[in-house]
Amino acid sequence: MGAGDEGKSRARLAAPVASRHRHLFGKDAPLAYLFLSPILLVLAGLVAYPFFSAIFLSLQDKMVGAPGAFVGFQNYVTLMRDAIFRKTVVNTFIYTIVGVTLKAVLGMTIALVINEEIRARNLMRALCFLPWAFPTLIVSLNWKWIYEGTQAGLLNMVLYNSGLVSTYVRFLSDVNLALFSVITAMVWQGTPFYAMMFLAGMQAIPRELYEAAEVDGASVFQRFFKITLPSLTNIIIITMLLSTIWTANNIEFVYILTGGGPNYATHIFPTLSYEIAIASRRLGLGATVPLMFLPILVVIIIVLTRRMLEQE
Amino acid sequence: MAVEHKRSRRLKKRITNAVLAILLIWSLFPVYWMCVTSLKSNRDIYTEPGLLPVAPVLTHYRATLFDSHFLTFLRNSFLVAVATTAASIVVGSLAAYAITRLHFVGRRWVARSIIFVYLVPPALLFIPLFAVVHMLGLADTIYSLMLTYLTFTVPFCTWLLIGYFKTIPTEIAEAALVDGCGPAGTLWRIIVPLALPAMAVVALFSYTLSWNEFLYAMVFIGSDSQKTLTVGLVGLIMGDVFMWGQLMASSVLASLPPVLIYAVSQKWVISGLAVGGVKG
Repeated sequence: MGAGDEGKSRARLAAPVASRHRHLFGKDAPLAYLFLSPILLVLAGLVAYPFFSAIFLSLQDKMVGAPGAFVGFQNYVTLMRDAIFRKTVVNTFIYTIVGVTLKAVLGMTIALVINEEIRARNLMRALCFLPWAFPTLIVSLNWKWIYEGTQAGLLNMVLYNSGLVSTYVRFLSDVNLALFSVITAMVWQGTPFYAMMFLAGMQAIPRELYEAAEVDGASVFQRFFKITLPSLTNIIIITMLLSTIWTANNIEFVYILTGGGPNYATHIFPTLSYEIAIASRRLGLGATVPLMFLPILVVIIIVLTRRMLEQE
Repeated sequence: MAVEHKRSRRLKKRITNAVLAILLIWSLFPVYWMCVTSLKSNRDIYTEPGLLPVAPVLTHYRATLFDSHFLTFLRNSFLVAVATTAASIVVGSLAAYAITRLHFVGRRWVARSIIFVYLVPPALLFIPLFAVVHMLGLADTIYSLMLTYLTFTVPFCTWLLIGYFKTIPTEIAEAALVDGCGPAGTLWRIIVPLALPAMAVVALFSYTLSWNEFLYAMVFIGSDSQKTLTVGLVGLIMGDVFMWGQLMASSVLASLPPVLIYAVSQKWVISGLAVGGVKG
């Protein structure tokens, strides 16, 4: 009889009491909650609290450094009546929908090409995905320089010297061009993420499916629409929804390339929110701008969360 | 039939290569242009523009490194990225271990709320966080960024680590538990060493996210001594009319860390993505 056995019997005696607690919250509950306490602190203090205080702010008329006055839904009404806000809503939708669609189509093209038996495949993959590695801010600066409206700008230099245009194109200050110029820059950087996700999905499709289809005489297009696309459905949906959130909420491209101009033609809600809250110091009204999009965001997040957990 | 098949294969190969060439030009030319501009003299940039660096000079790099705040910005970006990454890995590992290996009530709920938070965009949080940062007396310091960057690095790291921890066979952890390791010991002696490569990759991702962040840095920071590279570079636009040479030189230098990280870790990038969505 050693000390160990004695300890064991004592544990056995204590078991009924302890297990009642264990069954209440699960058998590892105390340790689990201890391990989770830092993340819960971050989630509660840095995300949940600011989120609810944003809603609280949106119900106030509050300037930076001054106490706020409760105004109910006045800020929401003000925005809905505001022509600039309405223009911003339209821009945000065009920017996001066109951007996400282009990124998906181009990303699929890249993934299909890389998935073929090409020479130096790993190198080609690395090079095609390179735009993803650059900080968004630097990509924006680089494209601002590419779009430069003089002979020094890359695009104008090429277009002018090849005789395609006779006057320099004002990519970023022409009302009709600006939004699409911004979208192009955003697509350049965002596409590799799509290609990576699609490629990862394609590599999980069993080779035999394609081989069988080839034996049956299926064309390239039939193979794509009957095998590749259906197998990727879930990945495509996850990728596009994630990207919708990130695209609509990204501030760098618009802020750096056009600042929302010309004549509000490129303002999207993050830039408008920043301009109202930080530049004009109207915190309450500024906080209201992104909240106007909250219903859409919540729907996207719920669908995504479900699909991402399923994917696991 | 066989001949026709061969011909259609060759055609397919030719189309693939042509598309690949176009895609490469699309992906690489802007990067090339950034590098070329950084190596040209101001005269070559503005008055005799061309696609090649006719007489490459290092003036802009010298100006960036010695006559600007670049090195201060670099130090700040580095400190912020290291601090947030270290904190996120610790917080994320503890949470991921609890979620994948421990039995407790509310497990699914916690996992769900982590994804939820990961998807809440900074554009929604920057205004109230601005108030929080002021309240804590951290306004206009890099500490405000070290704190607020946790809002995206922590859920992101946790989410990826959950995926990696799941791939470690439960038998190993159970054997350790039976041998009297205890859950904390199992995490430290079994899971952490096995997950170390994955944790390194997650750390690199997190470092990159933090290094590239712009919105919070722009809103919370005003002084040059506290600016990170992203906001620091924007300050250059306001300065000089003929700043593109220096701006591109700074951009090349500021992009080096994330691009090198990408080059080193790109082998794992795809498997990491398979585990969960990364960044756009």
